[in-house]
Amino acid sequence: MPEFKIQHITRYTYEGMVRDSANQVILFPIVDVHQDVLKHTLTITGNPVVDTYVDYYGNEVGSFTYLEKHSRLVINSEVLVVTKPRELPADAMPASEQWQKLQALQYIVPYIDFLKHEYFEALPELQTVIEQQKQDNETPYQTALRLCEYVYRNFKYLPGVTTVETTLTEVWNLKAGVCQDFAHILILMLRLLNIPARYVSGYICPNRNGMRGEGATHAWAEVYLPDYGWLGIDPTNNCVANETHVRLAVGRNFSDCSPVKGVYKGSSGHMLEVKVSVEYQDQPSNSNESTSILPGNSFVQAAESEVFTTNSYRRYREALLLQQQQQQQQ
Amino acid sequence: MLSRVAASFYWLSRYIERSDGILRMLKINYASSQDAVREFTWKPVIRIYSVADAEQMSKLDNDSRAVLAYMVSDRTNPNSILNMITLARENARSVQEHITRDLWQCLNEYYHCVKDPDVTERLLHDDPISVLDNLNKQIMLYYGTAEVSMERGQGRSFMNIGKFLERSIQAIDLLDIKFGSVNNNPDLLTDTTYWKHLLQSIGGYELYLKTYRDGIEAESVMELVMLNTDFPRSVIYSVNNIGRYYERLKKESNLSNYRDIAFQMGKLQSSIQYSSTQSISEIGLHQFLTQIKTDLYTIGNLMNEHYFANS
Amino acid sequence: MYQSAHFSEYNAISGVWDEMYNENHNIREHYQRVISYLSKESADNLNKKEELARRLFMTQGITFTVYNSGEGIEKIFPFDIIPRIITGNEWKLVEKGIKQRLTALNLFLRDVYHDQFIIKDGIIPIDVIYSCPHFLREMYQLDVPHDIYVHIAGIDLIRDEKGDFYVLEDNLRTPSGVSYMLENREITKRLFPDLLPQCNVRSVTDYPNILYKNLMALSPRQISNPTVVLLSPGIYNSAYFEHTTLARLMGVELVEGRDLVVSNHKVYMKTTTGLQQVDVIYRRVDDEFLDPLVFNPASVLGVAGIMSAYRKGNVAIVNAIGNGVADDKAIYSYVPEMIRYYLNEEPLLKNVPTYQLRNADEREYTFANINTMVVKKTNESGGYGMLMGHAANEQEIADYKKEILKDPRNFIAQPTISLSAAPCYLQGSLQPRRIDLRPYALCGPDGIEIVPGGLTRVALKEGSLVVNSSQGGGSKDTWVLD
Repeated sequence: MPEFKIQHITRYTYEGMVRDSANQVILFPIVDVHQDVLKHTLTITGNPVVDTYVDYYGNEVGSFTYLEKHSRLVINSEVLVVTKPRELPADAMPASEQWQKLQALQYIVPYIDFLKHEYFEALPELQTVIEQQKQDNETPYQTALRLCEYVYRNFKYLPGVTTVETTLTEVWNLKAGVCQDFAHILILMLRLLNIPARYVSGYICPNRNGMRGEGATHAWAEVYLPDYGWLGIDPTNNCVANETHVRLAVGRNFSDCSPVKGVYKGSSGHMLEVKVSVEYQDQPSNSNESTSILPGNSFVQAAESEVFTTNSYRRYREALLLQQQQQQQQ
Repeated sequence: MLSRVAASFYWLSRYIERSDGILRMLKINYASSQDAVREFTWKPVIRIYSVADAEQMSKLDNDSRAVLAYMVSDRTNPNSILNMITLARENARSVQEHITRDLWQCLNEYYHCVKDPDVTERLLHDDPISVLDNLNKQIMLYYGTAEVSMERGQGRSFMNIGKFLERSIQAIDLLDIKFGSVNNNPDLLTDTTYWKHLLQSIGGYELYLKTYRDGIEAESVMELVMLNTDFPRSVIYSVNNIGRYYERLKKESNLSNYRDIAFQMGKLQSSIQYSSTQSISEIGLHQFLTQIKTDLYTIGNLMNEHYFANS
Repeated sequence: MYQSAHFSEYNAISGVWDEMYNENHNIREHYQRVISYLSKESADNLNKKEELARRLFMTQGITFTVYNSGEGIEKIFPFDIIPRIITGNEWKLVEKGIKQRLTALNLFLRDVYHDQFIIKDGIIPIDVIYSCPHFLREMYQLDVPHDIYVHIAGIDLIRDEKGDFYVLEDNLRTPSGVSYMLENREITKRLFPDLLPQCNVRSVTDYPNILYKNLMALSPRQISNPTVVLLSPGIYNSAYFEHTTLARLMGVELVEGRDLVVSNHKVYMKTTTGLQQVDVIYRRVDDEFLDPLVFNPASVLGVAGIMSAYRKGNVAIVNAIGNGVADDKAIYSYVPEMIRYYLNEEPLLKNVPTYQLRNADEREYTFANINTMVVKKTNESGGYGMLMGHAANEQEIADYKKEILKDPRNFIAQPTISLSAAPCYLQGSLQPRRIDLRPYALCGPDGIEIVPGGLTRVALKEGSLVVNSSQGGGSKDTWVLD
């Protein structure tokens, strides 16, 4: 059973002093038959009290505030996780029967939330692709793998070209992005075929194999298969997400699972750095080999660091004026 | 009291007091511009009270009526009476449930009065003095209403601290600019109309005549504006009042914050109280004024930090 | 009865329920006293009263702000001096009907955020609920004090040509306008001395006291003097006047989002002496803006972290978060079913027939009969985003149809209801204008209370059926007789 020691550091550095920081963290790995947490320590600047609760999707969500003046905020999450490989679907049921079973889930909680697709400009284009890809006699499982490969082959893995605010249409037109974009596109395709699909955030711990998504938080998709349950598939690496994928949270999309998000008061801009490093059970932490093979250990992923340099005070005033007027009056 | 509410009280008063100062100044300057024995210039007034650049200055072209319209009802001038009163009213609006209805209505009327398009029209083509008098009356009405209707609580203390802080800064700016001009034009030092004019613009002429029997002299003018405790627009009177109203906040304050500001105030008060025309001229007037102004700003910043939660 | 000139010209609109005249063109009994009082006044005098009313509104700052190209223009909500009168019997029905409806709506909200029995039993289709943007998954399994979600409701009623009351909209999020109910009454007292007692008009002044009592009862801390605040978006909000009025009448602090902070999952307000814990928040800020951490991250009106304080029960928020799922216009048509389902009663107030445009057959029917329909967006209020079929031209209809087809879930259609009319004093004479009625219901641990009265909105434009202030509407004092 693989055992991973994962360190995930989120560091906000502000240009000047800020106060009244409020943050939400979804950094608590899921505990189930395939994954267990042996130890978890969460250290945060100022040692605020973190309150956690289980959200609608079953994720453990923490939140905290830090009111004192500060010029940086560091959230350090260190977790020791064991994973168990899961058996792949036997996929023995006839395809048509499986599709029928999926059809019946349409109006059932929780699947209803994982079948809804938002309006999307390139929808007709995407529909055509799906029709071309889908083979009549294939099962949902086979179809999911096929689409996963489609995304892997047709989208370029290119950190830095997209941000969390990039829309699906933009990603579709760019045909490039990072794991989060790959996952979103795949999820949309699956949902259009009526296969329940959800977003997963987590870490990838590929040992020596060198996969995309190391050094940062990773994201992939999970599909619901009849007579099997949820299965993770990773379009960024074109593989089934198994014991090398550590799951933090599931949801409809990124914003349901965002590992760390926060707001603060103050007129200065900020810089965000995220680092994820993994140590393996069979490799001591001081192993040179490990760091040389995994340069991602101290790599700052561009897509996850952002800098605001605009005048945030003016932005605040403008927003204040606009929003006060816009409040709906019933 | 909410920090934001305290801050609104404070700023409400600062804006009202500033508009009061501007109106008085405009009235006297307009009157002297009509007494045109020599070339009259609006430059110092514009310099004290607005941020007009060279281009704006040349556009106004020292035309008295154009200057009045610019200073009173021009939206593009951030320090115009119209903008001042709009800001004052916004602050009042956000504390509407803390001020009396009478006071709100008074301010509201003042606002509607300044906003009237007729104001510009009359400044440009009618008797400007009656327009300015009319607006000034609104402020006196406001101060009177505040005096009789506001409860004697924290709110009023913050209002008065704002009012006297603004007033002392204005008196300092006026002295600094008027005495500064003397450096370039030493003739002004003995020009009695020049000093009479200064006194009139802050309503101190009559008191001056009663206090100093041997005519108008620059040094005595400075002494009156700086150090006369009976003159309601003198720096010392204003600073003493800041201290007086601040003391009333003591029992509702966090003690260490209170002491922090009280110390600054005490220091400022004694540096003025124990000054004389002689000691001031030894330091240099400009130097002295700059120091006092810095101290006043320090107090303002500390208020912001300790009472207004940086709002 | 003697009638002066300005009353004899009144021509009731045919085919419309007139509040003052019966079908024989006789003045209804409950209007007689007022009319005889007013007949003694000369037109000149009435004009003066109208002018006085306008001046009182302006000097007291009872205004709302309309933003036009950056500059705010303050307007008064036009006030018609003739009161709208409701008989004691009519009121009894309205009161019972609203209590019944609100009871069911509260049970629905509790259910939809917990067990979802009503979905499982197939009473409301699941996709209507799950596709509603105001169905907040953040509220799932979150318990609210006393299971009350709707503490304050402004349910809009209209009357058809037979005089039957219909519910047009349930406003369960941040209903506004109650200050006009209170101020209109104060103005009437000034305009017509002694008239109110002569006519046995029931008082509305208790409203702030009842609201305050209910708010106090929600305090999570068992202390004698909990801190209740009213959270306003700020002075630029069009209803700011109302926020200050209510805060003043209840004697509570009026706060903005920037006055509050969350520390250790409790809410505090920033005061000149430091942080002071807040127990109950009557908020007039929309859900989406309430917590930038959980909802709209760009919000500067909210309080970051307030959801965690709410979830832990450290602060009460009024109205509850997530109520929008119950006053969504697509869900509106299921309210009669809710009443039957939860209360085993027949609804006392009628619903306007509603077509769900997400259903193809209902959409086709609507398109075929668009001239007699009103089409509305399910998540908008205030008269925005509506299509009045009888008044729209072909191009407008075609454009609107295109909008509908993009996302039919967001639209419903209703037959145009001919609202009842009431006399208004306009340009020196009495003229009939269309009206609605919004009573304000307050729901507390002791039950539901509705002050006898409400806001009567009136479409001042001749022939108009839209009473919203944004569309040229005004208001009237609303009398309920004892």
